[in-house]
Amino acid sequence: MFCREGIPVPDYALAGSPKEAREKAQEIGLPVMVKAQVLTEGRWLAGGVKTAQSLDEVEKAASHILDSSIRGLPVQQVMVARKVETAREFYLGITVDEYRGTPMAILSAEGGVSINEIANNRPESVVSRPVSITKGLLPSEAWHMCREVGLSGKELTQVADILSALYRVFRNYDALVAEINPLARTPQGDYLALDAKVEIDDSGLFRHPELNLAMENRIPNPLERKGREIGVTYVELDGDIAIIASGAGLGMASMDIISQRMRPANFLETGGAITADLLYKVMDLVLQKKGIRAVFINVYGGINPIHEGAKGVVRYMQEHNVTIPVMAKALGNHQEETWEIFKEHGVHVVTDVSTEKGIEQLARLLEVGT
Amino acid sequence: MSILLNRETRVLVQGITGRIGRVQTKWMLEYGTNVVAGVTPGKGGEEVEGIPVYDTVAEAVAKQGAEASVFFVPPPAIKEAALQTIDAGIRLIVVVTEHIPVHDVMEIREYASDRDVQIIGPTSPGVITVGEAKMGIMPGNMFTPGRIGVISRSGTLSYEISINLATGGLGQSTVVGIGADPVIFTNMPELLRLFEKDPDTDLVVIVGEVGGVQEEKAAEFIDRWMTKPVVAYIAGHNAPEGKRMGHAGAIIHGEYGMGTPQGKIAALREVGVDIARYPADVVGLVKKHLTPP
Repeated sequence: MFCREGIPVPDYALAGSPKEAREKAQEIGLPVMVKAQVLTEGRWLAGGVKTAQSLDEVEKAASHILDSSIRGLPVQQVMVARKVETAREFYLGITVDEYRGTPMAILSAEGGVSINEIANNRPESVVSRPVSITKGLLPSEAWHMCREVGLSGKELTQVADILSALYRVFRNYDALVAEINPLARTPQGDYLALDAKVEIDDSGLFRHPELNLAMENRIPNPLERKGREIGVTYVELDGDIAIIASGAGLGMASMDIISQRMRPANFLETGGAITADLLYKVMDLVLQKKGIRAVFINVYGGINPIHEGAKGVVRYMQEHNVTIPVMAKALGNHQEETWEIFKEHGVHVVTDVSTEKGIEQLARLLEVGT
Repeated sequence: MSILLNRETRVLVQGITGRIGRVQTKWMLEYGTNVVAGVTPGKGGEEVEGIPVYDTVAEAVAKQGAEASVFFVPPPAIKEAALQTIDAGIRLIVVVTEHIPVHDVMEIREYASDRDVQIIGPTSPGVITVGEAKMGIMPGNMFTPGRIGVISRSGTLSYEISINLATGGLGQSTVVGIGADPVIFTNMPELLRLFEKDPDTDLVVIVGEVGGVQEEKAAEFIDRWMTKPVVAYIAGHNAPEGKRMGHAGAIIHGEYGMGTPQGKIAALREVGVDIARYPADVVGLVKKHLTPP
């Protein structure tokens, strides 16, 4: 990604085994950095980055890192990169200013630590400016930013070129964040990107099949992954009351209210396009977690009539002989029909319009003290 | 007329020939919405629910005088659809579509910024002027006519709060789902401004959630410009850090300490906004404001 846009990086190679890492290090020349290749951040703190002065150290570091996992993701590859002496470090970033709805370019002459740390401790060293997404980052804007952090002459144009290249990475890959931290200046006056991060917009991934970002390499939790596969958002929590909601806000509100007296087992949001098949799969998903005491369903018929979803729930309960209490609050198109279907199959129906009342009813059923 | 739309507004449906477009057109018509045309490229000449379908927005504007448009268009086609709709002179666009690339949203936003158009969404359940017209997927039977404006980041919570208000004898003027993405076309303060000057609205309810800075910016606006009372509910007190809670924009960035419900509540309280602990508590708070002591 970075090399293609002309961003200079230290010599590097990827290795899948300690032995391979040793060979690559020999080709590159010591000392080297050995870094975990995982699709998450925070690998430094998790022990996923080590310096090696000798080939034995390379092998040891690679073996240690390849045996570990970072934020739940197993490390399958390490990067072996030439260790670079640095005279000065910079932070370069392109991010989205969500409120203004524009890209934002950020530059600081203090790299190495997180941009938030820099912004908190030395706010005067950080410059940022909104970028017109239709025009792109103009060279003059990049020069101006470099000037503001105190660069001049050849340095100014060199860093500005790298900032422009980083902006192209941001745009070409539908990134929400693209950052180089640090960009190092070597004692010889060369600039090299030592570490970088790109966060790609999930909604933009369809334009980048070439990235081939397999879900198992991105989402460590198997239930959360399963949720993605069936088209819902599932977040595992540590309680025992399963939640199925037809919207994110309603799901969060249900979670908040349940948390007062009971413990939610998950957050789950189906979106408005509920079908019988979807709710069947969703029942299966939330009940895969062990020790669920009850299921609380909170849905509104928006895109589709809601009784379709009810059919999926009761079909699942019949086929899998579900005996724990299932309570449903369902409002919207075809609500009366929905209540009938639920009641016929032993689902406890909440007819009150407030979620609080529904959850009170659930607490009484489970005999949870108030 | 409340805000954004009323029973006279001449509505266009883009993506009208799709499965969702068809059924939603039927429900919008049943609600009383003045749907005058549909657009699906390549389907010009067809009819859906008796509504003529055109290939382009320009044609729908020329032939039927369409002035507002609701999108049931798939994500990859949104950018083109939006630019063509803006160019055709439509003044209100409601984008129901979810999962639009953020870069496309930013491009459309910039294109619209110096033109006379209001875009709501994306990932919006729609806009409903209660008892008159609706553009979007909100079930009409959740709402009751009245004088409370609702601005919500969540579709389902806008229903939950409206139906609870109605049960408490309080109706709504216009309910706007502003959308749940990290970048939205129309921010909360702009809608507060519209409600502030709307003679049919007495009070505004904000329904917020974790993530972003919409509620904090709304607080700044309320402090400076609002004379009407505002009541708020914020969802996600128990949302774990770093997880997107169903909405792309609903994420607490732990490292930044940003987007927490506590921060939003503090900002709103600071400027005199009453905060409901749970959705239905909004009713009591609204009543307190509307009943003279």
